Amino acid sequence: MDMPRRLGALLAAALLATACGGGGGAESPPAANQSQAPVTIKVWTRAATESHTKALADAYNASHTNKVEVTAYPNEEYPAKIATAAGGKNLPDLFASDVVFAPNYVSQGLWIDVTERFGALPFKDKVAPAHIKEATVDGKIYAVPHTVDTSVLFMNKALYTKAGLDPEKPPTSLKEMAEQATTIREKVGGDTYGTYFGGNCGGCTLFTFWPSVWAGGGDVMNPEGTQSTVDAGPMGAVFDVYRKLFEAGVAAPGSKEENGTTWLGALQAGNIGVAPGPSAWLGLLEEKGIDVGVAPIPGVDGGTSTFVGGDVIGISATSTQADAAWDFLAFTLSDQVQSDLQTKSRTTVARTDLTASDPRVQTMNEVMAVGRTPYALKFNESYNDSQSPWLKTLRDALFGADPAAALKAGAGTITASLNQQ
Amino acid sequence: MTNLLERVRPAQAAAHARFRRRRSPGLAGLAYAAPAAVIVALFFLFPLGLVVWMSLNKWPLLGPPTFNAPTNYAQIADNALVLDAVVFTLKYTAVVTVLLFSISFGLALLIQNRRPGVGFFRGAFFLPAAVGWATATLLFFGLLSDQIGPINDILQWVGLIDAPVSWTAGDPGLAFGSTVTLVIWRWAGFNMLILLTGLQAIPTELYEAARVDGASAFHAFRRITLPLMRPTIALVLCLMITGSLLGFEQFYILTRGGPGSSTTSVVMVIVREAFIRFNLGSAAAMSVLVLAALVLLNALQLAFIRRKTS
Amino acid sequence: MKRPTYYVSMAILSLFFVYPIVWSGWSSIRLGDAFSLDSYRKLADYGEGVGTYLTNTVILVLLTVGGTLIVATFAGYAFARFRFPGRGLLFVLILAILMVPYPTILIPLYVLLGWFGLQDSLLGLALVMIMFQLPFAVFMMRNAFESVPRTLDEAAMMDGCGSFGALVRVLLPAVVPGLVTVGLFAFLASWNDYVAPLILISSNDRFTLPVAVVNMRLHDFGAVDYPTMQAGVVFMALPCLAIFLLLQRYYVRGFMSGALRG
Repeated sequence: MDMPRRLGALLAAALLATACGGGGGAESPPAANQSQAPVTIKVWTRAATESHTKALADAYNASHTNKVEVTAYPNEEYPAKIATAAGGKNLPDLFASDVVFAPNYVSQGLWIDVTERFGALPFKDKVAPAHIKEATVDGKIYAVPHTVDTSVLFMNKALYTKAGLDPEKPPTSLKEMAEQATTIREKVGGDTYGTYFGGNCGGCTLFTFWPSVWAGGGDVMNPEGTQSTVDAGPMGAVFDVYRKLFEAGVAAPGSKEENGTTWLGALQAGNIGVAPGPSAWLGLLEEKGIDVGVAPIPGVDGGTSTFVGGDVIGISATSTQADAAWDFLAFTLSDQVQSDLQTKSRTTVARTDLTASDPRVQTMNEVMAVGRTPYALKFNESYNDSQSPWLKTLRDALFGADPAAALKAGAGTITASLNQQ
Repeated sequence: MTNLLERVRPAQAAAHARFRRRRSPGLAGLAYAAPAAVIVALFFLFPLGLVVWMSLNKWPLLGPPTFNAPTNYAQIADNALVLDAVVFTLKYTAVVTVLLFSISFGLALLIQNRRPGVGFFRGAFFLPAAVGWATATLLFFGLLSDQIGPINDILQWVGLIDAPVSWTAGDPGLAFGSTVTLVIWRWAGFNMLILLTGLQAIPTELYEAARVDGASAFHAFRRITLPLMRPTIALVLCLMITGSLLGFEQFYILTRGGPGSSTTSVVMVIVREAFIRFNLGSAAAMSVLVLAALVLLNALQLAFIRRKTS
Repeated sequence: MKRPTYYVSMAILSLFFVYPIVWSGWSSIRLGDAFSLDSYRKLADYGEGVGTYLTNTVILVLLTVGGTLIVATFAGYAFARFRFPGRGLLFVLILAILMVPYPTILIPLYVLLGWFGLQDSLLGLALVMIMFQLPFAVFMMRNAFESVPRTLDEAAMMDGCGSFGALVRVLLPAVVPGLVTVGLFAFLASWNDYVAPLILISSNDRFTLPVAVVNMRLHDFGAVDYPTMQAGVVFMALPCLAIFLLLQRYYVRGFMSGALRG
């Protein structure tokens, strides 16, 4: 589940202004080490989160004597980098991770326990609960939210109008979404397609299809993350909707090969009617001049849900300056920094108590309350990785001859992967 | 060669022997080989030993390892990906070795004779060897892409395909073909040059004698070129087979082992064990097996060739 | 083969090998329907600035090429001219480097570099690169020295040179093509390698070009900036191609001097 976050120089500048001009400092609890000699805190993130982390670091560096130094690595190679550094007992002071991988890093003991430090924050109850839950084991918290990204429906308003649909009336069920997509394909036609999805991308599909399963009251696995249930409940019906859209030529043909690298690019081209995607795309779509509407992802027959994704960040077990590192984390979660993020990037943030001025961002914030972050110790290898059993399952279910058999087989192979030692 | 020279020039041979006695060449040789030996010991043997040790332990990312041999080796059999990857890697090796060898040899034959412009063609064929793996793969990634790549347009224009094709993520056969094409593009010139050295080492008098005897070009190729080229061919084949069995970057960057797991090689499974599943012990066990298999294979290959040549 | 047929088929074959490189250069400056150097500007401004990555790469290349040449020359000389204990074993071990799945050996190497205090340093990375170059380099230099008549160094020694003097004064000039070939391949490997720098280097300001270029491609996930990516490819490939073409005379002779006999 890789999501783009490009907040850009604008955000950095805004945060800088706040941090320097605000002068309040109330948000950032003074740390014990501030009086000592300044230290450098090393932070690692994956490339997709780089600009976000760098903007926060610049803001922090402008108002603190300690310096935060951010290094970003290619998304795919990031886990390899963490593994090697851990093997060499040389992790940076802080490192972020895709939230769904957090249980694995926690179980490997790569982050230290921050329960007490986190408990001392005045706004501790207002921090994205799904992320906190994901980074908690036996009541102890090991990481805090760094970026929050939810999945939502994006509607191309111009295409809706062109097809005679009302862009202010988003679909309330997946079936209705399919109807609207079909109308757009039929009425507009040509290069324009009704919808688009990452049919060759495990992360893209779990992020955008699973909410429809949850909205229908079902689930894809048990709460312990040890038993796949893709063959029971609404998963089959969800696949069926997308399968038919593809067969009918309503979904763009590229959907079958889309492995995530050009997922956003397809929507940015402006000829896709309605498609689910990461909330962080809002700004990136508008940047291309697309008038875009946002709606929650519906279930097959109604209801809504979302996948609460993004990154968490924790203090590494090999860090020797945990206090200084925590000071930066507390700063990133503080009121001023978070509401600036919200205004400038128009995306969801790590706090639940800040209201957004843009109604679309407000929609995103609201779905977060009903959203979920699935838990599994072996998440990456079972669902995200290009050799994962989930990817094979979804391809067979979407494009194969026998979707029901594919889901039945998939439940078996995914369960095996979830339990593989 | 040395023997010949010693027979021809007894005085110098004597000097040579004197030198050997006087300076204890064993020590001198050891001294010259020492830097290489130190690097091999420190940066190859030692890490290799650690890999072997890891393969006998449950090796967490942090924290102390626990001895669990032979669990890591036994688990390999349970890994659903391994069998497919082994089959795929063997298939890939066979295809690449046959194609790459034929093409390289063909190119070498085409440029072995001095003609005007031959240097230019040799340079052109060899040029891709100057482009690194990461660069070459990014280049192909763009070249084959539907967005800016020209390949789809060209083939559509020629009439070979009706609609744009996904070369790396659609059909397993196409993804395989794209990878093989990349490998041939990158390596054909390099192997051509090695084969060319073998070709040019063959004395031209042999061919002239054959021509005088009325032998056809094909006959000369079979009776003179092939037998005399045997050591060079053996070297090239060893390099190709070893390189293909260890194939990794080409799949990793271009197809990510997909679609599905249709282009997942053995080394990709090892990398997945280590860096996705964080099962370092299991990854080490697989590496040890691959290394053992390759050493055995190359030893057999060399022994076979030596017997044939002598 | 008839002359025209020969040249036409050779031209088509050359096209297969050269076209992708030419296309890459073309597409890096072609944005939409206009020519532009924007992709190169983006490339120049990425991360710490392309200058930093270039400097790092040049340092790495100099260390690797220098180290490989020194180690491989001595080792090649030893194998070609001396008998010493462990000679066969060392040679087999050097060749075995080719047979190890190298992504896995990087974890122990990282640990090892940590012990020497060389983690996250270009020197440590260069030592690893030298190790990976040894099979080709030693093999090449051994055969290059073997193809020089022994009478040459023996004559030098009779004139009072030691074995080192003979190496420096007489043999080295005779193996220049071999040296150039070894240096060239060490250059190509260290300039281009992606996996080893990615794993062994951990600071932005010490990254080499390939890591930066690949990183840049994945920067905006979901939308590949193809022209900038191709600009990266061109920037990476140009120096290699230039050196490659400049040195062609030498390495062709290097290969030819019987240097790659089995």
